[in-house]
Amino acid sequence: MADPVIEAIGLRKTYGDVEALRGLDLRVPAGSIFGLLGRNGAGKTTTIKTLLGMARPTAGRVRVFGLPADEQESSVAIRRRTGFVSEDKDLYDTMTLAQMIAFTRPFYPRWRRDLEAKYLRAFELPVDRTLKTLSRGTRTKAALLLALCRGADLLILDEPTSGLDPAASEDVLQALVRHVAHEDTTIVFSSHQIAEVDQIADRIAIVDRGRTVVSGELDDLRASYRRVQLVFADDAPEPGFRAPGIVRTRRERRVLTVLCDGGADLVVQEARALHPVSVDVTAVTLKEIFLETVAGREE
Amino acid sequence: MLWYKAWLDTRWRFTIGLALLVCGAWLTVLGYPRVTRLVAAAPAIDTSTDLGRRLSEIVSLSRGFRGYLWAQWFRQTALEMGTLFAVLLGSGGLVSHGGGDLYTLSLPVSRTRLLFTRAAVGLVELFLIVFVPALLIAATAPAVGESYGFGAALAQAVCLFVAASAFFGLALLLSTSYSDVWRPMLIALAVAFVVGLAQIRYPPFVSYSILTLMTGETVFRTGHLPWAGLAAAAALSTSLIGTAAANLTRRDY
Repeated sequence: MADPVIEAIGLRKTYGDVEALRGLDLRVPAGSIFGLLGRNGAGKTTTIKTLLGMARPTAGRVRVFGLPADEQESSVAIRRRTGFVSEDKDLYDTMTLAQMIAFTRPFYPRWRRDLEAKYLRAFELPVDRTLKTLSRGTRTKAALLLALCRGADLLILDEPTSGLDPAASEDVLQALVRHVAHEDTTIVFSSHQIAEVDQIADRIAIVDRGRTVVSGELDDLRASYRRVQLVFADDAPEPGFRAPGIVRTRRERRVLTVLCDGGADLVVQEARALHPVSVDVTAVTLKEIFLETVAGREE
Repeated sequence: MLWYKAWLDTRWRFTIGLALLVCGAWLTVLGYPRVTRLVAAAPAIDTSTDLGRRLSEIVSLSRGFRGYLWAQWFRQTALEMGTLFAVLLGSGGLVSHGGGDLYTLSLPVSRTRLLFTRAAVGLVELFLIVFVPALLIAATAPAVGESYGFGAALAQAVCLFVAASAFFGLALLLSTSYSDVWRPMLIALAVAFVVGLAQIRYPPFVSYSILTLMTGETVFRTGHLPWAGLAAAAALSTSLIGTAAANLTRRDY
């Protein structure tokens, strides 16, 4: 496999007594649209901040484009090749969009004037209004334009659609997909909106309480995760499966439900020994994988 | 372009400071004939008290244009306003001002460069706030039939600028620890207040005080620049700005 654009191993970050990251692992291949999925406070934003050198990891290793993200000089080189949109769509409120573009352009030798013109037109952005007067949706599009035009090899977007109505969210997601289709770019975006990750990501990592709990290609995950539902004549027996890949087992009166990551056949084999009335194996959605893995860890 | 953002962040503080000090300097020069008449008519002052001695000194200094300018402008108005605007120009606006802190941090520039650009813009503004009024005094003195050398005005301004840059450095350093603009400002002003208070409570401290250096008393009384004091203030200011850079580099956002 080609060198990953981002590689984090055992990433830890503490703020005082709070452990924001507890050994997070991440591997983002070039050219992918990578969704970082997690609940609020799971560690997505802290992960992004460590990638961009805004926060220094307490322990672990993080490399972007093969460069250590926690060293000042490398971090500058990383940011030269990276576009970023923060969760709050941080921009200089007192500037107009035209001023923001004029301010940002000189920092990026590969600034794309063609994309600048294209997105100004496509997003219908007012260039002469101060940014504080823009609506949330327009502000997001302005932030996106400033990130997309950098000629970046990597786009890092923290909750790019947060606070947007469904139509504006769709505009933003479609713009991202179109951008990747035409440019040689890797996108990493964080979200707690499972539907939008499902819609545009080809790889995901589910982060929970500072750790990666699921990671991989979305199609592989969909193919490998299965729910095995066993119905018994009487109360379901205590589960004691030895098959590998069992993520979660839930027992409710006559029904025993097993979520497994691969090895569903082995689970079924073991289950037959318990003499269930019926055995049902079904595919699961990303939402189910997310809810089961995150909720499972909570209990 | 970082200088442009630093300018946008501080331009109103700078403009207000420059306008106030220019107007103040101009009014101080224009007020001299009136003060001369008042001083001539002033009754004898009882110098047995500290306050009496101070008043007597001011009256005595104000009998001549040079002494009047030093007592009214360089020792008082310029000192107070210079300290205030040095602190205001040094406070906030490092990374977060008017939003956009993460945007700034996402740019391909080191935090050291961010801080030094911000410091350079602030110091240029402070320089102008200090030197323009001083030169204006020299330029407008003939309007009241007096003269004040540009060399003397520059020497006074050098003392004020170098010493004020230490308060600028302090505010800048505090701004790397606090994300709001108010705490750095209030703490730095409180430090200046405490130094001023210490001068009053412990008179031997006056000779070593940075506020004395700011007034350019040595220039006024001897005609020479206080090189040792200037070097110490410059070193203090440089070390405060250097510490601010190190602090900003270490900080997590």
